[in-house]
Amino acid sequence: MFSLLYRMVRDRALAEDLAQETFIKVLNGIKSYRPEFKFSSWIFKIANNAAIDHLRRKNIDTLSLDGAPNAETPEQMRATSLQLGDRAESPLDEVQSRELGTAIERAIARLRPEYRSCILLRHVEGYTYEEIADTLDLPLGTVKTYIHRARNELRGYLEDRRD
Amino acid sequence: MTDISMHLTTDEIELWAQGLLPAARAMHLADCSLCRTEAERERKVILELVQLPKFAPNAGFADRVMAQVKIPTPSGDWEQR
Repeated sequence: MFSLLYRMVRDRALAEDLAQETFIKVLNGIKSYRPEFKFSSWIFKIANNAAIDHLRRKNIDTLSLDGAPNAETPEQMRATSLQLGDRAESPLDEVQSRELGTAIERAIARLRPEYRSCILLRHVEGYTYEEIADTLDLPLGTVKTYIHRARNELRGYLEDRRD
Repeated sequence: MTDISMHLTTDEIELWAQGLLPAARAMHLADCSLCRTEAERERKVILELVQLPKFAPNAGFADRVMAQVKIPTPSGDWEQR
């Protein structure tokens, strides 16, 4: 479950926070667990929802490299813009670069989040299409489509790299 | 029943990559260069995906989680660990 979260948000500390949030929800909400549902699928469902919620929030909160949208003068734009490269790489950043820096990991990061969840559950966690559909509350046909599209996109990214 | 001359579907290519493609369809693959090329490309991606490492959280993670969990006491109250 941690691997899924880490690959979804690509930030170790944040993935730990989301994993913690997931386990606390699981352990404190154990009475709402329905036994007809696979226990690990229930955990993955909560974890995936936490990651998707985070990515949606982050999308809304994303700062422009050119400064805040309401910045009007060049000074305001400079003051609110993101400064790339002005932060030294921490040991945690180095670990992340090593862990998620391979071509396949970077290609996965370029997928839409819903494709990413499906492809990770299928090929990293070894879930069947039916289990993914149950876990993500998606129709089976949608899961198949997402996985096929995700693999096609990954092939494209990886073959571009090799050209 | 599937016509032996029909090209492999994406589902069948995945079965082939897992070594699970029925023999009749494997015969088509042996004869069809188009399907073989497509299947090989797909297999490369699947192989890269299944070989991805599993990651683990840092040490002390379980303790940090358990510190946040409420345990029911015999009196019916909730106790924070």
